[in-house]
Amino acid sequence: MSTLTALMALLFFPGGLIILLVGLAYEWADRKLVARFQNRIGPRWFQPLADIVKLLAKEEVVPQGVHPGLFVTLPVIALSGALTAALYVPVFGLAPSYSFSGDLIVTVYLLSLLTLCTGLAGANTLNRFSLIGATRTLTQLFSYEAPFLLALLGPALAAGSWRISAIADYGADRWLILAQPVGFVVALIGLMGKLELPPFDAPEAETEIVAGALTEYSGRGLALFRLGKGVELVVGLTLVAAFYLGGVANPIAFFAKTLALLGVLAGLQSLLARLRIDQTVGLWWRYGTILALVQFLILIVWKGLAA
Amino acid sequence: MTLKLDQSWQAALDKLKTWARINSPWAIHFNSGSCNGCDIEILATLTPRYDVERLGIKLQGSPRHADVLICTGPVTRQARDRLVRIYEQMPEPKFVIAVGSCALSGGAFRGCYNILGGVDQVIPVDVYVPGCPPRPEAIIDGVVKLLAKLRGADPSDTPVVFDPDSAGEAAILAGEDPVEGPAHAQQEEEAIA
Ligand code: SF4
Repeated sequence: MSTLTALMALLFFPGGLIILLVGLAYEWADRKLVARFQNRIGPRWFQPLADIVKLLAKEEVVPQGVHPGLFVTLPVIALSGALTAALYVPVFGLAPSYSFSGDLIVTVYLLSLLTLCTGLAGANTLNRFSLIGATRTLTQLFSYEAPFLLALLGPALAAGSWRISAIADYGADRWLILAQPVGFVVALIGLMGKLELPPFDAPEAETEIVAGALTEYSGRGLALFRLGKGVELVVGLTLVAAFYLGGVANPIAFFAKTLALLGVLAGLQSLLARLRIDQTVGLWWRYGTILALVQFLILIVWKGLAA
Repeated sequence: MTLKLDQSWQAALDKLKTWARINSPWAIHFNSGSCNGCDIEILATLTPRYDVERLGIKLQGSPRHADVLICTGPVTRQARDRLVRIYEQMPEPKFVIAVGSCALSGGAFRGCYNILGGVDQVIPVDVYVPGCPPRPEAIIDGVVKLLAKLRGADPSDTPVVFDPDSAGEAAILAGEDPVEGPAHAQQEEEAIA
């Protein structure tokens, strides 16, 4: 019986088919919102699904000069990393399928796996655009990762636990965004950096470096990377909503809060122009990290005084 | 029995593939020697005014991501190798749309010493969109003609030419007039009647 539930969790929900479809739906919502902000009609509701099916049905070109094994496995690792992360977060407002103390750290690292695979995929090819894209991807990874982690550690510290479900329970009683506004902003913007959304899309700036690290990917590989991004979008939004926005105790609260967050993300995307990679790094280390650290310090002192 | 099941599965899979291809044509734009007039029209096609994303059309930077090569201008001797290379970098199935009189035949530059002629002298072309330069509506209609060809799954490789008289194919596929919207088109029709 437990094997059956485990299989269900892995293949269907929350680590499988359903989260993939929800990821596609969220990608559509994002694209549609951006289109409406730009005074366009925007894509039809099945657009991301059609894109993925088309990419899966296309030829996959393995270019010359790459390590073929790495080229083929990297997208799989990226997607499975994102899917595994989905097992530890309360998607749809249901309790996470797996939980152990310290799963917050594991989840954050699983979420980084996608970016890491993208960077490796770019570095694997001989294409100069891919190489520049890979460099930028990894540079960006090093710039947002620390503040993002700090922003998620704030609630963890307040709840006194490293377990996502415990922090979510703690966050369900109070809106932590009021107590830790800096953490919320840093987490949200860190999520944008993670997903390489504008203004942090320098790693895949199509006007400068074609398509960044994924320039040489076609067909299946590209489809898997895109699916992984969709899943990561859902998982990231869930984490931020559960930690800062009063928890996601039931599906209605989950959808309302994550979609509201997505609206904010889409608004920021259409509002801001692309940052240069050095500006991105500067922004994260000079402001993001420092502010998150200051808030962290205040939290620790507060806890110390309260104890 | 099993064979029959296999066949129906295969048919359903093919249908799904065709559906996805029709609904998600990602394009790449290549200028093989155009005067830039056609290119500006292509850029105008991508503006929010025409919003081709609602048909699933997206401009991609990398030929590896693209399904449709939109080619403008006559093919110069310099551009020939690049054009062939871009075409070969695209993964199958791939399609080519030649945009502008020059891409069709060499146009204003026909007979020049440095010109090889139209795009079809170098790579196979699926749809021809004439005009100097063609309007954005004509370019969208060219893409829609290509999609209609895909939907028909007609294996014969007869090229399709955009015919200004039959404009409105896009409207049929999209369920509305490409630019003016359904209500406006209807008003116009009534006014003509
Ligand atoms: S068709 Fe006209 S606008 Fe287009 S490239 Fe030729 S001369 Fe220029």
